[in-house]
Amino acid sequence: MKLEKLVKMANQIAANLSYGDEGKAAEGVCDHLRRFWTPDMRAQIIEHYRQGGADLSPVAKAGVAKLAEKETRAA
Amino acid sequence: MSAAFQPYQRARDFGTPPSPSTRKVTLTIDGETVTVPEGTTVLRAAALAGINIPKLCATDSQQPFGSCRLCLVEIEGAKGLPASCTTEVREGMRVTTQSERVARIRRNVMELYISDHPLDCLTCPTNGDCELQDMAGVVGLREVRYGYEGANHFSLEKDTSNPYFTFDPTKCIVCSRCVRACDEVQGTFALTIQGRGFDSKVAASQDQPFLDSECVSCGACVQACPTATLTENSLIDLGVPEHYVITTCAYCGVGCSFRAEMKGQQVVRMVPNKDGHANHGHSCVKGRFAFGYATHKDRITTPMIRESIHDPWRVVSWDEAISFAASKLKAIQQKYGKDAIGGITSSRCTNEETYLVQKLVRAAFGNNNVDTCARVCHSPTGYGLKTTLGESAGTQAFDSVMKADVIMVIGANPTDAHPVFASQMKRRLRQGAKLIVVDPRAIDLVRSPHIEAAYHLQLRPGTNVAVLNAMAHVVLSEGLEDKEFIRQRCDLEAYEDWRKFILDPRNSPEALEAESGVPAQLVREAARLYATVPNAAIYYGLGVSEHAQGSTAVMAIANLAMVTGNLGREGVGVNPLRGQNNVQGSCDMGSFPHELPGYRHISDPNVRRLFSEDWGVELVPEPGYRIPNMFDAAIAGRFKGLYVQGEDVAQSDPDTQHVTKALSSLECMIVQDLFLNETAKFAHVFLPGSSFLEKDGTFTNAERRISPVRKVMEPLSGMQDWEITQALSNAMGYPMNYSHPSEIMDEIARLTPTFAGVTYEKLERLGSIQWPCNEKAEEGTPTMHVEEFVRGKGLFRVTPYVPTDERTTPMYPLLLTTGRILTQYNVGAQTRRTANVAWHDEDVLEIHPHDAEQRGIEDGDWVGLKSRAGETVLRAVITERVQPGVVYTTFHHPESGANVVTTDNSDWATNCPEYKVTAVQAYKVTKLSEWQQKYEQFTERQIELLKRAKAAEDAVS
Repeated sequence: MKLEKLVKMANQIAANLSYGDEGKAAEGVCDHLRRFWTPDMRAQIIEHYRQGGADLSPVAKAGVAKLAEKETRAA
Repeated sequence: MSAAFQPYQRARDFGTPPSPSTRKVTLTIDGETVTVPEGTTVLRAAALAGINIPKLCATDSQQPFGSCRLCLVEIEGAKGLPASCTTEVREGMRVTTQSERVARIRRNVMELYISDHPLDCLTCPTNGDCELQDMAGVVGLREVRYGYEGANHFSLEKDTSNPYFTFDPTKCIVCSRCVRACDEVQGTFALTIQGRGFDSKVAASQDQPFLDSECVSCGACVQACPTATLTENSLIDLGVPEHYVITTCAYCGVGCSFRAEMKGQQVVRMVPNKDGHANHGHSCVKGRFAFGYATHKDRITTPMIRESIHDPWRVVSWDEAISFAASKLKAIQQKYGKDAIGGITSSRCTNEETYLVQKLVRAAFGNNNVDTCARVCHSPTGYGLKTTLGESAGTQAFDSVMKADVIMVIGANPTDAHPVFASQMKRRLRQGAKLIVVDPRAIDLVRSPHIEAAYHLQLRPGTNVAVLNAMAHVVLSEGLEDKEFIRQRCDLEAYEDWRKFILDPRNSPEALEAESGVPAQLVREAARLYATVPNAAIYYGLGVSEHAQGSTAVMAIANLAMVTGNLGREGVGVNPLRGQNNVQGSCDMGSFPHELPGYRHISDPNVRRLFSEDWGVELVPEPGYRIPNMFDAAIAGRFKGLYVQGEDVAQSDPDTQHVTKALSSLECMIVQDLFLNETAKFAHVFLPGSSFLEKDGTFTNAERRISPVRKVMEPLSGMQDWEITQALSNAMGYPMNYSHPSEIMDEIARLTPTFAGVTYEKLERLGSIQWPCNEKAEEGTPTMHVEEFVRGKGLFRVTPYVPTDERTTPMYPLLLTTGRILTQYNVGAQTRRTANVAWHDEDVLEIHPHDAEQRGIEDGDWVGLKSRAGETVLRAVITERVQPGVVYTTFHHPESGANVVTTDNSDWATNCPEYKVTAVQAYKVTKLSEWQQKYEQFTERQIELLKRAKAAEDAVS
């Protein structure tokens, strides 16, 4: 998948879930990615995050961080 | 012969509509004691008792008119002979329907009618199916003493301009049934009685040919005509039908019930079923007349295969095609992994067929790479309503609109896309309900005969959420919320969060005015109107869902309905108008990659276990690819095989060049369809599908109504679609052994709580069922969320307005928005193969006079339309329907390439494409775009490859 597109999608999700509590919004991003993205799409965005997460908005980045943490724990 | 086949007879007509009263009145008719609801006419009361009073101008789809004087009766104590159609029953009334006195008058009336009516009954198209002929028989007409030499109308000319029906004024008795049908049933007011006395005649618009008039060809007048004045051309050609079968229309999400009136296996005509629960005997030009595609010469009825899309097709047996497809898919999985293939279910196929495709993907392919065309239309509805209310479906029955005091239509154009429901809505508006339209365009509903919107919020494309938030801001800031409803029915913590958010001044109409383009005062007034009437209902369509914030807008709609207490009873609700006939059903059936049937997430181990045990196979707990993800993965080289059941992604999905690049990357593409559609041009296997006339099953419409689809002719290819999927599954090594779709429905009911009570036997008995149908609601559920929301407490979700990335720039200064028109359906694969092209034979670009003038564009000019995704050329129509800065087109014709221009921008939650907003430039051109030229060449080549297959087949046979 084109990384650029995944980053854009993650930022969109973050923007739509962002209001007030940023921690809650990041949790929302993480939950959304787990529920709707395929494992390879998630792996790709996690990898991007681990490489620095360029162009990810702060909330998106925090959401992917939570996702990375959960998926590592699950594995 | 199937039990569903009924010997042909005209549908029973009770003369006048039923009375809604619950109070009963008892009277005597011809010595029989009859008890009927108060307000019933004598004519109807008699018909209910099995006594047929002669009539001509009365019909039960219209209000009493009292012009023909044939239904006169004697009523004890009454003066003269009252017309039974305009006389209401009274307690103790004594009616005599037959006497020498009334018989004489009826004969005289008929004699006058027949003195100006051609006596060509034996060669007349409606011979044997004519109310006038019947009445002549019933009254015992034996002579016409006036002769035929005097003035008459015999030399009037026929109007054959409409491709589907003929108007023969020589046969007209001026009963006004056609005029009243157009007014009362359809609500178009295209017909009138022109002239007076002997010169009275039926006229369309300004006495124009029907085709040039305002007539929308819904067929209501044809159905109402008691003579051969308005007659279907198919009846003129084929004669009166000999049997009929009740079935369900395969066009839009209204899901009209029809009588397929047949001669053997040939459809003579489709007549709307008066007992149909969604349409109550009404129809539109598509369902009523545009069924000829089913037997069009372009139908492909034999399986075909090829190694490469550059090879000619080879006609093969079903066995060879299926084993070729299965071996290709298996080889791909072996080489690239089991996630490298997937399937797309069709929202035009039956519930049973879509269920089977998702089962094939999950059980036989061993992944969850299944999606459906709802992805590109109403997936945000599924997400938004599930989140807020707890169920991915509309809350009401269509009939609920008759109790609405305010109707708000946002991002929907019902008169074009859901015409039969629009007629019902217009009926309610004529009764006095108020209308709010939220749409960038001045759709017909904004102002049409006897209808005028109280408010038209003509917002800029892409600003739905801003306007909906602003409306909610007005409700809360002016104290118009329903506090009791919120306290009892909603999650209060979430409500407080949302309340704080909405009351933020940045959500006020004044703050958002510059963004949305809607004057703040209008938003305030519209919000007050919506919030302060007893019953307000919201109807929305793809103009809400097909945006970068589609899901947010759906949730904002649900918030608005909850905060005003407009849920859980008749007359209110949140009502998505679904595009295709079975979009609701295909979603219900688990077509989304993350959900099993009944909208249950694939990660839920309990649900997965239920299916695993029933299907005898382990299921993958992770969501699969959505359609746009499939395309991206194909281009990335990870996705190599696709099975597409009845969908044309190469035309309907956005950013055509991206889609075709993805399709060209596939090693095996299997298309199951009626025609060699745009997608099939990229296919390696073509499996000929069956039309709705050739199969048994069920469709579920926009009001969650499950209706039976019944086979009226044998499938032209020999296989119904579910049989093809079953064969493919067996060849893939996962056995399926259904012998009838009813067995598939039994499995669906067994595994899906909302369908637990659905059986074919019950559908036969009740006619249709609205889910949920289970032990709590044996006969289904017309209104949802009555006592509590499906999720328990209603959830207000914060809906920040996030402007779309598709913003105008100096390079792309206009916004393109796309939509539908009445006579065409979706990609047009069906309607383009009917006479509906008489109304719309090409897609055009609507542009405001101001924008046209700036660019030197005149009406009818070729206009280049360019976005960051691509470029196409369309003919310009200059109109003030669109605002300055906005252009509009449709995508019913593949060569118009509207989706070459639309982009990959999509809804944040569901990836539903943003068809409704694309930044574009428009300019005058003299030739087709480069894409169009390439498209022409590619199409020509593919048609040639198809012809070679046909030629080879002919040579063999």
